[in-house]
Amino acid sequence: MDPKWNEDLPIYRQLRDRVVAMILEGVLGDGDALPSVRNVAAEYRLNPLTVLKGYQELVDEGLVEKKRGRGMFVTDGAQKQLLKDERQRFIDKEWPLVAATIERLGLEADQLLQEIKNKKSSKPGGKDD
Amino acid sequence: MTSLVSARNVSKSYGAVRAVDDVSFDIEKGCITGLIGPNGAGKTTLLKAVLGLTDCQGSLSVLGLDPFRQRKELMQNICFIADVAVLPRWIRVHQLLDFVEAVHINFSRERAEELLARTKIPAKAKVQELSKGMVTQLHLSIITAIDAKLLILDEPTLGLDIIFRKDFYSNLLGDYFDEERTIVITTHQVEEIENLLTDVMFINDGRLVLDASMDALPDQYVELLASSENADRARKLNPIFERDVFGKKVLTFEGISRDELTGLGEVRTPDIADLFVAKVKGATA
Repeated sequence: MDPKWNEDLPIYRQLRDRVVAMILEGVLGDGDALPSVRNVAAEYRLNPLTVLKGYQELVDEGLVEKKRGRGMFVTDGAQKQLLKDERQRFIDKEWPLVAATIERLGLEADQLLQEIKNKKSSKPGGKDD
Repeated sequence: MTSLVSARNVSKSYGAVRAVDDVSFDIEKGCITGLIGPNGAGKTTLLKAVLGLTDCQGSLSVLGLDPFRQRKELMQNICFIADVAVLPRWIRVHQLLDFVEAVHINFSRERAEELLARTKIPAKAKVQELSKGMVTQLHLSIITAIDAKLLILDEPTLGLDIIFRKDFYSNLLGDYFDEERTIVITTHQVEEIENLLTDVMFINDGRLVLDASMDALPDQYVELLASSENADRARKLNPIFERDVFGKKVLTFEGISRDELTGLGEVRTPDIADLFVAKVKGATA
C-alpha cells in the first residue's frame, strides 16, 4: 500500500503527523519502538534523511526519544501529552464553533447528553469510530 | 570536505556532436543524486566518463582518482547497472557468483546468496531463462553484495512492471544505501524517484541546466496557478515557463520570493517532472 502524500506539506511533516496519529490512537504506546528509518525509507521509497527529519521533529517535541544504537522510542506519557494538547485545541478552536451552532439551533444541553447516551447504549461496548 | 565526484568543465564530442558540453558539478558522500534529461541529452556519456569508460576534456575526479587512467583502482569501489542487459545470456546464476567473487575483492558471496534466496531465482538457472525483472533482481543482488562507495544506475528499471520497480527501490534503500554510500541515478520515471533524492541535476543538449539540492528547490522555484487576468500581472515577474491546466495558467518562476505572488493565485512548489519541462522548454522558447 502506498501512502498518498499531500503536495502542500513537506513529506517529513506528514510523517510526523502520521506518527502523532498513531500515538493518539494507541497504535504506538509508551516505550514502543518506532519503525527504523531504514525500514520506513525502503517501504515508502523516501530518502532516509526525510524520514530522519520527521523523526527529529518528534524528538524536538519530546514525544519520541532517541536511544543510542537502538533506535527511536515513544516517550513515557506521550499519548497523555498529546491528548492534553488535543483537548485544549478542541476547547479553544472547535468548541466555540460547536457551541455557537448549538445556541443558534436552540438545543438544550440535557437533550444533547441524552442523545449521546442513547447512541452508546444502542451499541454494546460503545466503541465505534 | 572533498567531493566524491568532482567535474570541472568536462566536455565530450563525438565528431561534430558535443554530447557533453562544459559541465561542472560536485557530488558529496551520502547523497542520492538524480540525473534527469531527455533522450540524447548526454546522460549516458557523462556517466561513462565518470566510470572511466570514455575519455573526456576538462578535469574529472571520482573518489580522488582519474577515472579514465585509474579505472582498475576505481572499479574496486564503484558499481554500475546499465540500461542495457549486460549479463551474458548463457551464464548460470551460480557461475556468475563464481565470476564476480573471482574478479571483485569487495564482493561478499554470502550476502549475494542471502539476497537471492529472497527472490524466486534458481541458482542453476541461466540468465536467458530468467524474466527481465528477475535479471534486474539478480543484478541488484550482486551489486548490493559489493561493498562499493559509489553506485551508478542508468535507467535501472526500464521495461520493468510497477511491482518490480517498487521492489527495486525498496531493496535499494533497505539493503544497500547508508550514509557511507552514494548513488547516482538516471531515469525517465522521475516521479518514482523524486522522494528518494537528496540532489537533482538536469541535463539538456549536453549542458547542465540545473544542479540543486532537493531541500533548496522550494526556495528557488515556485509555481503559480492563476486565472487568465491574474496571469497578465504575474507575467511581469518574468516566469521561466507557462502552461495551461483546465483553463487556468500555470506559471513557473525562478528566484523570486513567494510574497511577490500573494493574491495572484495558488502558490506551490513544482514537482520535478514539471520543473524539468519548464527548465528545458523554457530555455528553448
